[in-house]
Parts: sequence; structure tokens; C-alpha cells
Amino acid sequence: MEAELATERISVIDADEPVMLVPEPPGPRVVSRFEFNLLRILKFILGQFPAEQATGLIQTRHAPAPHCLSRNCVQLVKDHLSKGLVQYLVRSGGWRRDRFLNGQKPVEGRVWERLPLQIRQLTFSRHPLTFLIWLTAERPTDPKETWELSPGELTAGDELFFAMALDAIRSPMPDVFQVFSGKPAFRQNPLCWLFSPADFARAEQPEPPVLAGYFKGTRATILECLQPVLHQRWVRAERSKGQIADWRTLRQYGEAESITLARFLAEAGLIGRTDLARFILKTAATILGNAELTPAFWTGGLQGSGPPRLADRLEAQRAALALPRHIETLQNWDRRARTVRHFDDEYASSQLWLAEWEAAKGDELAARARRVIDLLEPLRT
Amino acid sequence: MSRAYRITVKEGLNREVKGSDEICTKIEVLEILPPEQMAELLKRELLERGFKENEDGTVTRIDGTVSVTVEPCSGEITVKSESAEKVSLEANREVTGYDDVGPGEGALRERVREQLKQELERKAERESERLQTEATKNLEQALDDLQPELGKVINKVTRDALKQKAAQMGTITEIAEDAETGNLTIKVEV
Repeated sequence: MEAELATERISVIDADEPVMLVPEPPGPRVVSRFEFNLLRILKFILGQFPAEQATGLIQTRHAPAPHCLSRNCVQLVKDHLSKGLVQYLVRSGGWRRDRFLNGQKPVEGRVWERLPLQIRQLTFSRHPLTFLIWLTAERPTDPKETWELSPGELTAGDELFFAMALDAIRSPMPDVFQVFSGKPAFRQNPLCWLFSPADFARAEQPEPPVLAGYFKGTRATILECLQPVLHQRWVRAERSKGQIADWRTLRQYGEAESITLARFLAEAGLIGRTDLARFILKTAATILGNAELTPAFWTGGLQGSGPPRLADRLEAQRAALALPRHIETLQNWDRRARTVRHFDDEYASSQLWLAEWEAAKGDELAARARRVIDLLEPLRT
Repeated sequence: MSRAYRITVKEGLNREVKGSDEICTKIEVLEILPPEQMAELLKRELLERGFKENEDGTVTRIDGTVSVTVEPCSGEITVKSESAEKVSLEANREVTGYDDVGPGEGALRERVREQLKQELERKAERESERLQTEATKNLEQALDDLQPELGKVINKVTRDALKQKAAQMGTITEIAEDAETGNLTIKVEV
């Protein structure tokens, strides 16, 4: 089924270029040394090449980029992007027999059974390729030529690619990661924020990009496929907060997470795609599943007495509890869903949310979240 | 032959240094009666405990350097501690210069003055930190004192609300209150 999907979703570098199925030449394709390195870096981003070997490739400045790439190389990049990203989405969760909304009606099945082809097609602009050329030619931490782009030019496929790139370098190359996370292609990429808001925690107030685009079309499809991955990421992020020793870092992480949750849930509620917030509900169910949970789960790692002002200490601790604070929004959806009558347009979608809320024991989670928040508050009566 | 000369530079700094800290949280009042009636009961109870009503409907009590402001409708409570002090700092320093080598008297005096200014700034900063610590300590102390008092306020408001609710339901025939346990029994004839 994956192979069939991959064939269906042949991706193109230029959206205007017609899709062509080029017959494979006999034997391996011949590429230059530069192109060979570029392809290995691409495979690393797609999770098909070891990080240890890719680190050397990325952190070394190679020969200047050629004026153009060979047809063989471009074909291989297309092939890797189209198959690699589709495979990633299918493996992440697209293969699951799941239920999501399609025009306010819940539809069950695997992603290719639920949705028509036109909203499961990934297209790519020239940006992933220019990025790969730059990454192969330059040392990202000390480039001779910079690489920048306007985030508005990115397609859904590009955004997924850049989110995967940032994700791939996070652990093996923290210095490169620092450089990337400051670039608009990543900083203004909604998927990067959804994967890990903490990546963009800064001293100043974090400002996530507009997330509204992720509730319709291909981007919504991507989000449907990524639900299990996002659930896993957010659970990991919540658990790791308890290991943070620095008060300021914890506050910044919490603030970035809180604003991302607030914007995401606001858009989901407004557009009526509450099903795409399933990963948040599941994260809450995993984290708040323990009835004995206290704020120490999030703040237990803090070292020292913290900032001199009690107000700042309290703000850091409150920020750490971003997830429990936003459960209230999910509970409001539940309350609203209960008021929808069977002849209303949103009846089916409301029923889907009610079913998910009940399956996750949402009321219990909300009560636990409130209790944990209250435990942190001074003057609780 | 070089001649040594001695310069004494004196510098002073007068400043009002401040330290402040505040927390804002919510007190939970059970919704036994409609919110506006609960707010009225809460306000009445707080006024009896020395709070003064402000123009915006909030009530405030100032106790030394700590102020407690409650918004009865939302239950939002702000506890603020402020410390301010006027400090007069002085510093002087003697330096020796030589008339044939090194900087001239004017330049030397200016340099020393600059050093003294920086030193006084550091001292002022330390004073500010001291006041900040004091403000935070006062706030923590105030919170410790306020906690049981607020508990009593909420208890009283809840009891009064229950009595009113009972009166709305029928004729109260008996009320028994146990001050120790906080138990309240109301018998109502409907």
C-alpha cells in the first residue's frame, strides 16, 4: 500500500512542471562528488542515513556549489523527497485506521481511504533543493554565503521537509541547530512549533506563526498523519520539564508551549477541527493519568532559590504547567458539544469530540489539571 | 625634579531606591447564590475586616508596606509589597599625582570622579537588591498571615450564603453552628 501511495504522490520540484514517470536507467545513476554528498545529507534528513556520518558532511565546507545539478541528481532528489516524506507520514500515523473529520463528518479508514488524492499530494518548491545545495556547500555555523527565504513561499511539502530537517539535526548537531532555529524557514514554520515549541523559547515573548493553514487541505492531512508523533513529542517534552534546573529556561519553555497551545486550540475551535487537537488530549491523558501528580512533576528539577522576586518564581512555575492550564479549553469544547442538537450541522463533529473526550476520561483529567494548578497557587483556600 | 601632589575627590549620590514584589491569584468562592450576591457577601465580609472600598469596586487593605486588593466579582486577589528608601551615599578618595609624568590634575580628578560614581552606583544597586529582598520577605510573610484569614472569610461567606439559600427555600426552624469543627446544620420547613 505504501508503494502504491508513493506512486500516487509523485512529488515535483517545480509545481508547474508536469509530473513525469521517468523509466529507471539500468544500473546506478552517476552523480558528482558534490551531488553524492547532497544526496547523503538528504537521506540523513529523511532518517535513512546515520547521523554520525552526516555530522561530518554537514559541518565541513565542501567545494563551491556547482552552477547547476545534473539531471540524474535532480531526479534522485525528487525521488527521495516524494518517497521519503510520504513514507514518513504513512509510518507516523497515516497507516492507522483512524477517524477524522472531513467536511464536518467523521470518516474512518487509513489516510488514503479517508481523503481524496488532491489533498494528499505533496508539492515542493525549489527551496528544499536550494537549502540542500547550501547545506552541502557551506559550513552552516560559519557560512561564506547565507541562506534565507521568505516563509510565505513554502508549500506544505516544504514545511514538512524543513520541520524534518530541524528535527534531524537537533541532537547530533546542537550548534547547527541553533543557527537553523533562528532562520525564518524554521522559526516561521508552524510544524516546527508543533513538533517542539521549546526550540523557539527565547528571552523575548515567543511569537509562533499563524497556525490556521494547518486545519485545511494538505496541511490538515499532514497533521492527521502526525498525530501519534506529536503525541509522543509532547509527552516527552512534558516529562523533560522535570529535569530543567534553570528557572529562566523553564519559564521560557513554558511560555513558548503555552502560546503555541493557545493559538492552536483557538484556531481548531474556530475552524471546527477539534479532531486535530487529539494529540493534546492524548498527551493530557498520558501525563495526567497519574492521580497523585503534583506540580513537582514539572518543576521538581529546579535548582537553587530562583529569581529574587516571588512574582518571577511563581510565573516560572505557572508557565511550566502550560498543558494542565489548557485542558480547560478542551473541557469547554466538551460542554459546547453537549449543547449541539442532532439536527445541527456540527452534530456529527460534536459527537466525535464527545466520544474522544469520554474515551480519554476528560472530566477526570480536567479535575486533576485543576487540582495540580491549585496546588501551585498561593492563598489557596 | 618631579613634584608629587595629592588630590582628594569627593562624590555623593542621593537616590530613592525601591523594591517591590506582588502576586496575583484567585480565591474560590462556591456558587451557592448568584455570582453578584456571592460577590456582595464577600465584599461585606472583607469590609468588616478592615478593607476599604475603591472607586472601581475592588476592596483594599494596606498593612504597612503590604497592600491586599480583592476584586469581589472575580475573586482575583493581588498582594503587593513595596519598600522604598531614600539613600544618601558618599565616597571620597585620595590620589597622588606627579607634575611631570602621567595625566594632568584635571584628567586625574575626572578619572577618579568617574570611578567613584561607578562605585556609588554599585552601592545603590546593592541597596536596591536589599530592599527587593525585604519586599519579597514581607510579601511571603503577608501571604502566610493572609492564608488562614482568607480561609475564615470564605468559610463565613459560605455559611452566610447557605443561610440565605435556606431562607429562600422555606422557613428556617433551626440553625446549629459548631465553631470548632465549622459544621453548620440548618433545618428548613418547606
